[in-house]
Amino acid sequence: MARVEYEDVWKQFAAQGAPAVRGLSLDIADGELLVLLGPSGCGKTTALRMLAGLEEPDRGDIRIAGTSVVGREPKDRDVALVFQSYALYPHLSARENIRYPLKLRKMSRAEQDKRVDHVADMLGIAHLLPRRPAQLSGGEQQRVALARAIVREPRVFLMDEPLSNLDAKLRVHTRTELKTLQRQLETTMVFVTHDQAEAMSLANRIAILSAGELQQIGTPDDVYDHPANLFVAEFIGSPPMNLLEVTRDGDTLVAADGWRLPAPLTRDHSARELTVGLRPEAIAIGTAGQAAEVVAVEPLGSEVIVDVRVGEKALKVRAAPAVRPQPGSTVHLAVEPGAIRLFDRSSGSAFH
Amino acid sequence: MTVAGAGAIGPRSIGLGRTFKRNRLYFAGLTPAALLLALFFVGPALWALGSSFTNRALVGIDAANPRFVGLDNYTRLFGDPDFARVIVNSIVFVVGSAIIGQFILGLGLALLIDHAQHRGFRAANFVYAAVLLAWVDPTLIAGFLWVAMFDFYYGSLNVALGLFGLGPVNWFGQAPMLAVIIANVWRGTAFTMLIFLGALRTVPGDVYEAARVDGANAWRRFWDHTLPMLRPIVALTLLSITMSTFGTFIVIQVLTNGGPSFQTEVIALYAYHEAFQAHEVGYGSTIAVAMLALNLSFAVFYLRWSRARA
Amino acid sequence: MTAAARSMVRTNAPRRPRAHPLEWLLIHLAFVAVSAFFLAPFLWLFGAAFDENATAYIHWPSAPTFNNFIRIFTEHDFGIALGNSVFVSVATMLLVVVTVSFAGYSLSRIELRRKDWITYAVLLLQTMPLSATMVPIYGLARQLGLRNSYLGLILIHATIELPFLVWLMKGFFDSVPRQLEEASWLDGRTKLRALIEIVLPLARPGLGIAAGLSFLSAWAEVLMVIILVDQQSMKTVPLAFYEAMRNQGGYTEVQYGVIAAMAILYLIPVMAVFIGARRLMVRGLMSSTRGL
Repeated sequence: MARVEYEDVWKQFAAQGAPAVRGLSLDIADGELLVLLGPSGCGKTTALRMLAGLEEPDRGDIRIAGTSVVGREPKDRDVALVFQSYALYPHLSARENIRYPLKLRKMSRAEQDKRVDHVADMLGIAHLLPRRPAQLSGGEQQRVALARAIVREPRVFLMDEPLSNLDAKLRVHTRTELKTLQRQLETTMVFVTHDQAEAMSLANRIAILSAGELQQIGTPDDVYDHPANLFVAEFIGSPPMNLLEVTRDGDTLVAADGWRLPAPLTRDHSARELTVGLRPEAIAIGTAGQAAEVVAVEPLGSEVIVDVRVGEKALKVRAAPAVRPQPGSTVHLAVEPGAIRLFDRSSGSAFH
Repeated sequence: MTVAGAGAIGPRSIGLGRTFKRNRLYFAGLTPAALLLALFFVGPALWALGSSFTNRALVGIDAANPRFVGLDNYTRLFGDPDFARVIVNSIVFVVGSAIIGQFILGLGLALLIDHAQHRGFRAANFVYAAVLLAWVDPTLIAGFLWVAMFDFYYGSLNVALGLFGLGPVNWFGQAPMLAVIIANVWRGTAFTMLIFLGALRTVPGDVYEAARVDGANAWRRFWDHTLPMLRPIVALTLLSITMSTFGTFIVIQVLTNGGPSFQTEVIALYAYHEAFQAHEVGYGSTIAVAMLALNLSFAVFYLRWSRARA
Repeated sequence: MTAAARSMVRTNAPRRPRAHPLEWLLIHLAFVAVSAFFLAPFLWLFGAAFDENATAYIHWPSAPTFNNFIRIFTEHDFGIALGNSVFVSVATMLLVVVTVSFAGYSLSRIELRRKDWITYAVLLLQTMPLSATMVPIYGLARQLGLRNSYLGLILIHATIELPFLVWLMKGFFDSVPRQLEEASWLDGRTKLRALIEIVLPLARPGLGIAAGLSFLSAWAEVLMVIILVDQQSMKTVPLAFYEAMRNQGGYTEVQYGVIAAMAILYLIPVMAVFIGARRLMVRGLMSSTRGL
């Protein structure tokens, strides 16, 4: 159990033009579950591997429990890593896989067995212990990999997309379990994923990376409700935030087709080019307000996503399951002023 | 050819006639290869089997009109002290050059080169090429090169030993078996090396990374993971080099021709000498049949193991 | 990150970057010893080929000369052997490429219940040692009148690597999706044209291995030549080399220089093919399990 800090960490690979990680600083509290989220190639896996000691940073410092670990061998960092591929030892049984890190720590045989059995019970894989990885399903392999990490009782758990090779149903089930488990163990966990739903459901805080740079760090609610910039706004949420280019007219903002939106009054952003962000649920379909043409209706069971067009601009609106406008018909859109987010169009950053 | 014969896909087991009709173009395509294989692989095996029951000779009346002699040749084979000697020689040669020499050296080189490549040592590629060069040259050249290397008066090997105050060794007189083994190890090591280098490259990198995070140092990673993951192919590799070494002919013929006084006479040479020097084709064929039978049993094992792996 | 992006990151970064100087030294000492063992015979060969008075000892001639190469043509009829070898090897290669294309494709596409048995039988043949077939092939060839004939040399050399190459080509054809040729049948092509125009180009690496390996094995192979040829006019390079070597010794001094020159000419095509297509050839030779 430990606090983990990244301080201005840079990493550049010889064969790549741009740095994989640029100036990353993070402060992860003891017992926190932090998710590193971002698209492919954003540097999140590299950041994790530097914490594990499988890569070394070019610049900056990484500390675990206040002590720098830069230059230390992975085995001396007391961290456990679960790989996307699970990286189980193919020639060893599940039991021997889980036992392996204990064996290297010169623990007594009895203690090894006790711990392995305990973890196997905890994860419900006791019956799988005699089998080899090749005889296990993907989900079972994932559990064995998890057990191998847990059995060590490390200071930090590192998870490199451990759920992405599972089928959708098992993935959702396992992430709930994982979260419960992490609460029980109270061990700091850094979890890498590209799946925003996974990130939202697991994290205490989410750190969003793009092109090697930290875009925003905050609770799932924070990053959803107050995206720090246009990248986060578009990356988080499904369907993503609607973005409208607007001009200012006094206290109102004018979007395509003369759609007038109430501007949040207290802020000064007079001379800039602005973009408005509207979550699909921030728009209500009603009888009054801006006219829009219905393009398509996607019923999703618990809700309906209505695709509408205001002028040339396509928007997605989240509505109650009963709302079923005819495609081609005209509806009216109302916007809740408190839900309007404003961004500087040139820099992309949000106004708070 | 027309598209009419194209309906190759459909329910099976309709009967032999239908199967043949549907696949007749494919049968036609297989015919030339099948004829060649029948003529020059199956044919010789049958011919050897047939001749082994006769007193067929290379020249003279028994060459033109071989006589059926039943199992005489086989009775002779099992009572032949020379043949017993040949079997012992063959075993010594196979164990020395394949199982000890090529296998250990090849495995060692594979591990060394793989390790050096990960370290980024350029010399590894040079060594790899040097080992390969000895393997791709024709057997006959390999034999010739070692004739010169082992030369008593001027051979490079004795000159090199002289530098250390040793020798000279009369290789073909005092240690003929060692000499042919060294030459064959030189020539054949690359095969084992290539097999294990290939296997080392298929070991997934993240397994090593997992071991590093789990706390294993380089030594432990080697003992706990590298070696065990190579183990499944050890048996197959050993069998494979045993088979190819068992049939060695040219290297030994060129270096010692089986001598001196039968010390390096292996089974392939014995068959050849009986048929072409003693002119007893019938007996030579019997030895060839014995050789084919031994090899067949190796091969059946080999195929069963490789099937079990796949 | 996708698996592809991940593995790229891995290969970019060396697994174990730092090496202790002592480790460097030990590894390189081992390398020197290994290279000396494997290269010394070749160093000798190149020195001797250009030395009129070559001995068995490695040294570079004080007056390098081409006389050895001239003598093998003037005194040993090497020209005839060279011509015969080129003809036999090229003819063998062409025969093999055509034969294995048809056979491999047919074996890949044929619908038989026990198809894998054919494959195993074919592989079983490949493990037959040539040296065990010397006696029977001699007898067979004599009865069929195939000794001292180009036809005999070509047919027998074509057969040596045939089992392996049929199996190899079957593998390449298995990886060509059937839909491609089925589409071209529907376009109105015959099966033969579909094979030549659509399927063969996709199996090119296999054809390359088949061509290279069959050429090399016909060029280098000596056991069959020894038993099939005893006429001077039918001699090929390996036989000329073999005889030159066997006729030496005894009471005369071994003419290492001349034989070394022959060895160089014997070796050149082999090296050329390997340098031209190293990966392909090593892969082929390795899985054929039968060296040259």
